[in-house]
Amino acid sequence: MPHTLIIGYGNALRGDDGAGYMVAELLRERIQDPEIEILSQQQLVPELMEAISHAAHVIFIDASVSGRAGKVTRIVLRPAPACAHFTHHATPEALLAGAQSLYGHTPEATLYTIPGRFFETGEELSPSVRRAVNELVATLEKELAAGER
Amino acid sequence: MPRQTIVIDPVTRIEGHSKISLHLDEEGHVEEAYFHVTQFRGFEKFCEGRPYYEMPSLMARICGICPVSHLIASAKACDAILAVRIPENAVRLRKVLNLAQILQSHALSFFYLSVPDLLLGMDSDPAARNVFGVMEANPAMAKDGVRLRQFGQQIIEWLAGKRIHPAWVVPGGVSSPLTAENRDRILAGIPEALANATRALDWFKNEMEGFREEIRSFANFPTLFMGLVGEDGGLEHYSGKLRFLDAGGHVVADYADTTYPDYLAEIAHPWSYLKTSFYKPLGYPDGVYRVGPLARLNIIDGISTPRASQEWAEFRELDRGAVLSSFYYHYARLIEMVYALEKIEQLLREPDALDANVRAHASVNNTEGIGVSEAPRGTLMHHYKVDGDGLITWANLIIATGHNNAAMNRGVLQVARHFVHGNKLTEGMLNRVEAVIRTFDPCLSCSTHADGRLALEVELRSHEGELLDVCHTR
Repeated sequence: MPHTLIIGYGNALRGDDGAGYMVAELLRERIQDPEIEILSQQQLVPELMEAISHAAHVIFIDASVSGRAGKVTRIVLRPAPACAHFTHHATPEALLAGAQSLYGHTPEATLYTIPGRFFETGEELSPSVRRAVNELVATLEKELAAGER
Repeated sequence: MPRQTIVIDPVTRIEGHSKISLHLDEEGHVEEAYFHVTQFRGFEKFCEGRPYYEMPSLMARICGICPVSHLIASAKACDAILAVRIPENAVRLRKVLNLAQILQSHALSFFYLSVPDLLLGMDSDPAARNVFGVMEANPAMAKDGVRLRQFGQQIIEWLAGKRIHPAWVVPGGVSSPLTAENRDRILAGIPEALANATRALDWFKNEMEGFREEIRSFANFPTLFMGLVGEDGGLEHYSGKLRFLDAGGHVVADYADTTYPDYLAEIAHPWSYLKTSFYKPLGYPDGVYRVGPLARLNIIDGISTPRASQEWAEFRELDRGAVLSSFYYHYARLIEMVYALEKIEQLLREPDALDANVRAHASVNNTEGIGVSEAPRGTLMHHYKVDGDGLITWANLIIATGHNNAAMNRGVLQVARHFVHGNKLTEGMLNRVEAVIRTFDPCLSCSTHADGRLALEVELRSHEGELLDVCHTR
């Protein structure tokens, strides 16, 4: 089975912003497969490019301030060069482009976005986002077990 | 021509949010310049009432870039509250952690934030003047930078369990010893990392000739320099005495680090949340000093590792006294990266590096504690007072960026006078005004204990204060 990299990111101390981070944390508890690497990050950073370049497929999971809270969207990502702000913070598309540019390979990539409602200080997810997190964890666990990724 | 003010807001490629305002006189010459830090969080206030043993973890939340530095200074202040002498191997492991932090932070500052200017040019297209532009122009250098930052963070994770906000450093020592497996992993990575760092250092030395104007004008003036030195006067980042050196290269004084209130004072300015500290015996502004890599390499008598020692000897030939241009912060940062790697290897090859005795236990024995260490950007001071139950009643933090505040302001004025003329602004001119700030690598989240976004805005004001123009750089 080809190597899959899962990166859930966000600030777990800012309410629903931590949804992606939480998905990664829960998946790590449930999945024990050497071919699946799971990272939970506060934010995306350029150092991830090397790990991304080694993967056959990468799944990004992030929260969003727009959209209906808890309604998860899934899109396929394409590499795209970074904007001028690319310093120690990056977009998934920029990391994919960087992986190609520096390490000669960029994997297939998917982004799951979980819209949130409350982004104030606190570790609690709002109920609809909590449900979405649990559903996404269950879905990914099932799909990864079936080798659908 | 009326008097005008140019405001650069936000300043980009630094840690945190700030703006710069340049005040022009009637002839369009820069008359005054201010570096404003526009965010505030106030950790010193809201930690009051919390137990002392929470301080290392709580204070580490000040910053996502250098949490380890706060952990260490805070834990040292708590050691003083416990009045314990921590085990020798705990000191060793804290030193390794601190050096790994310096390595990853310097790599971020140099490769991600400053190389875009140095490699692509101060006047290059701002849309491409970022680490992505570096990847295209010099992929090998970008890879070296990524690898060095990654290695520093990896060491932190192997030692402390995670890269950001680890809770491994505790009052009395560290919570667990180093395993043989992790020591060997770190040692195995040193040769490659050292090759990466020395390659960057050699590149920088070759490129310096092309930055004569910047060297001449980037905060290039006499000040004092301050930092920790070891008991032998050597480069030291964890503990020692605090040394002040003058611009001529003469030692002004060596002090016990725990007596800083005797010789340092702070003032606040109405235009910024960032406090300014100065050397009391000389008063303000004569007592303005600089801290950080440039200061550290100026104040020391030597370096205990071979390659860094050679590089330091070459560095000291730049000036007869202290090296004064802040452009050379970059140079000093690269030498410190080499030193950090060599020193980590030295420390981990010592026979007791795996010793399991890494924590001393005690209860509150002092009602006051001061912890001082060298963070990547300079001297970091945590000072706490507690009641009989160990609850914090008062706290004061002096952060590297605060120590450097006066010099940064003066540096902005110098570079603005050199490069900005009249109301005709070019992006390259404004970038140089920002770039002088970047040489100091300020961490505004740390210095005001605040969070914020990277950005820069420049305002142009008439002498009556009317806003004539605003420029945002991206």
